[in-house]
Amino acid sequence: MIPLSWYLTLSAVLFTIGVAGVVIKRNAIAMFMCIELMLNAVNLTFVAFSSYFRDVTGQLFVFIVMTVAAAEAAVGLGIILAVFRNRESLDVDDASVLKY
Amino acid sequence: MLSLFAPTLLTTPALALEWLADYADEGVFVLLFGVAVGAAVSMVAQRNPLYSAISLVFVFMALAGLYLLLAAPFIAAIQVIVYAGAIMVLVVFVIMLLNVEEEERRRPLRLRLLVPAAVVMAAVLFAESAFILYFVHDAAAERAQAAGASTVGLTSSIGAGLFTTYLLPFEITSALILMAIVGAMTLARRASDIRPTDVVVPGSMVLARHTLTPEPDVDSTPVHARSTGEAGRELGLAGAQYRNEEEE
Repeated sequence: MIPLSWYLTLSAVLFTIGVAGVVIKRNAIAMFMCIELMLNAVNLTFVAFSSYFRDVTGQLFVFIVMTVAAAEAAVGLGIILAVFRNRESLDVDDASVLKY
Repeated sequence: MLSLFAPTLLTTPALALEWLADYADEGVFVLLFGVAVGAAVSMVAQRNPLYSAISLVFVFMALAGLYLLLAAPFIAAIQVIVYAGAIMVLVVFVIMLLNVEEEERRRPLRLRLLVPAAVVMAAVLFAESAFILYFVHDAAAERAQAAGASTVGLTSSIGAGLFTTYLLPFEITSALILMAIVGAMTLARRASDIRPTDVVVPGSMVLARHTLTPEPDVDSTPVHARSTGEAGRELGLAGAQYRNEEEE
């Protein structure tokens, strides 16, 4: 039986990589993918706890998180399309002033 | 854990097989751990967004394998279908559509003074999480494990939970998806070719001058307006009547 802490360690590592990616990356789509990675790290924690405590609630939460991620993907990519159309660039530094 | 690497067990083939069977879970976990972390690092390190996307698909696949290892086959299946299938196809589609150029090299770091502080805080956070992982043992989890096999994670148990106890969140999710569909359609519509009969949502991004007047030599300073109709009137586009304003 694999200890629970192994899964939590992997989740923490993936989440940290995701945070680092959001901070480092300047391409809007790459930042978006790093956010997806962070969501997946949290999902792993949910499933690990759910499996170890024999409680299905965590996996239901993962289901909801995945739905939110899908909705976020649709709206986020719509925003990225709109920004690209206005500015011809996906660099977030070019879009630092949201007003124009 | 020391016995995992004990060479004495590997002296005979039968014992080696037994050892393999004992630690098959751990072996698969370590493999998937390596794939997930390696692909995640590669995703951040790549400068071409398409390579990042492919690395992310590897992370998703490794996580699906871990969900199977955790006896959660339903979550593993929708991980592959929804994440690696639907969401990543959407991302790759947008990357292809926009013809994204490679990211430029990093600019020199500002705020160098904060680097030591960041290192110290990262060390504190690391020590904290290591302490929790090593010294905190959960008796409840061990008791639940001792109770034997369970149906948690099978599709039937998830379906039963979704349609009884968690029916309201499930229904709210459907409303959320509907809102996301409407929002995505509103955001992604092409704003440059608005005909006078088109319905335009007030507050959408149609605010730059050149998107409203087709002449190429018009200056592209933005128009300050709360709605597209207001922007049209400010620009003197007499014919620009918008149906949503007429209906009101």
